[in-house]
Amino acid sequence: MANALDVEFRHVSRRYGTVEAVHDLSLSVPAGKICVLVGPSGCGKTTTLKMVNRLIEPTGGQILIGGKDVTSQDPITLRRSIGYVIQQVGLMPHMTVADNVAVVPRLLGWDAKRIAERSDELLQLVGLEPGAYRDRYPAQLSGGERQRVGVARALAADPPVMLMDEPFGAVDPIVRDRLQNELLRLQEDLAKTILFVTHDIDEAIKMGDLIAVMQVGGFLAQFGPPAEILSNPSSEFVARFVGADRGLKRLSLRRVAELELQPPVSVRVGEPAETARGRLGEGELGYVLLVDDGDRPIGWLNSDSIPESGTLTEAMSESMSPTFSTRSTLKDALSQMLDADVMIGIVVDRNERVLGLVTVEQIAAALRETRATAA
Amino acid sequence: MDLSRDIEWVLTHLDDLAYRTVQHLWLTILAVFIGFLISFALAVVAVRRRRSYGPLLAVSDLLYTIPSLAIFAALISVTGISLLTVLIPLVIYTLVIFVRNIAAGFDSVSADVIEAADGLGYSSRTRLWRVEVPLALPLIIAGVRLATVSTIGLVTVTAVLGDSFGGLGFFILEGYRRSFPVELYIGATLSIGLALLADYSLARLQRRLTPWSTTAVVAKGALEPPLGAAP
Repeated sequence: MANALDVEFRHVSRRYGTVEAVHDLSLSVPAGKICVLVGPSGCGKTTTLKMVNRLIEPTGGQILIGGKDVTSQDPITLRRSIGYVIQQVGLMPHMTVADNVAVVPRLLGWDAKRIAERSDELLQLVGLEPGAYRDRYPAQLSGGERQRVGVARALAADPPVMLMDEPFGAVDPIVRDRLQNELLRLQEDLAKTILFVTHDIDEAIKMGDLIAVMQVGGFLAQFGPPAEILSNPSSEFVARFVGADRGLKRLSLRRVAELELQPPVSVRVGEPAETARGRLGEGELGYVLLVDDGDRPIGWLNSDSIPESGTLTEAMSESMSPTFSTRSTLKDALSQMLDADVMIGIVVDRNERVLGLVTVEQIAAALRETRATAA
Repeated sequence: MDLSRDIEWVLTHLDDLAYRTVQHLWLTILAVFIGFLISFALAVVAVRRRRSYGPLLAVSDLLYTIPSLAIFAALISVTGISLLTVLIPLVIYTLVIFVRNIAAGFDSVSADVIEAADGLGYSSRTRLWRVEVPLALPLIIAGVRLATVSTIGLVTVTAVLGDSFGGLGFFILEGYRRSFPVELYIGATLSIGLALLADYSLARLQRRLTPWSTTAVVAKGALEPPLGAAP
């Protein structure tokens, strides 16, 4: 695997006539870290990103990747060595999923066998079964699936640096949460240097090892790890941008994995109704969780929905809780529970199998803890 | 109407009919091909340099307004009765269709796809051939269909230049002069049949070349094929 390289901005500026889009920007992203560029629209975050692969040329300063000035390299060669993901994905509508993933390897002239192996490997990596997806066209995919293909395409030639411009901006919040979690999971193994643009401070806090808060006119308002931005905003602007609910936002720094999951009281489809009645008394909830053969949650049963006799079927459960992964932030978990108007969420693994339960009270307790440590 | 005389004419002129049909097709293919090459080059320039698009369309529109008979008459004094005199007007009339449709085809490629292509490291030439042309193909082929159908009709007019040209138009003109309706009808019917067949085959070709486009896309500024999409 290609080693990640550090990215350094040295007094970079970009002006359009008399208007300055990026002003004297200096910051350095260590190899293997995710740096999120966040700020309101017009703050120059996308311009900054596009100067790295020279889609936009800086009017002043230098950008170095692994110590090498990008302007000293041929732009086409440079771009093939940098992963690039955009909000609208920009998949080639006339190419199959496999061909889309293989765009850069093909431009680099890899042989057909290596290309085919690589695109299967990448589809697997982003959670798309190659056999089912390889030959589809982008028009036949959902928004989330397209974005996964976009990520696979960016990773194809194993670039040391990835640029992601609001990659999850166009998908719904639940899909976004999943895609964010999966990117974080991938990043644990891949350890790419990622520059990630968003206007969403919660996403920045969740995704970033480092956050660069930018201000209209292309000024860098603050640069540091998320915890520092939250506890110690350097200016009025940063404090306002981060928002009054900084205490609540700290929940974005913590993951479901940090909580002690409650063991679920569950019954399986096909088990006799008496078993469910018996288990109902075991917990304090007054509910048991109905799961399928693969331990995947189906929904809740209470004394009203369990029949007198017979076996349990999927149709019997009337209510369901939101599910999250261990990588979901406490903020996402809380907001999904509040949206669903429930007090309990279900934590599942990659195969949707139940790992345990999380309650609103546990998150409230975590919130009190983080406020105590911040004070 | 003397049916046996009509049938006898057809049977004794089978060679002629075949020859004129081939000539008709050949003139059409030549004109469409040359018109396409010129228009493609112009459309690429128009898309790369937006400011040239308006004037380019204006000129091709203007050329389209000149009556074909006037061009033939004007050209005879320059190029005589030659293939060139036949082809120049035919090519000129394809330009207005091609330039519009090819440019609209390039325009229909979404900005995200272009941005992604640039960001991934396509050179501008590879991007043109591997991204823009394939994606513009539905509208480009729609243009080819339209230009082909219109040229097939127009080829008949070249019969005014004498017996060496005109394709199936030869029969139309001769039938009219000799007051022999069957000859006229057969010339006209074969010309219509040729146009329908060409349109259908090109529609099939488009389906085959663009399996990714589920529906016929017609973008702003493009001219729709006259006969609708073939099944």
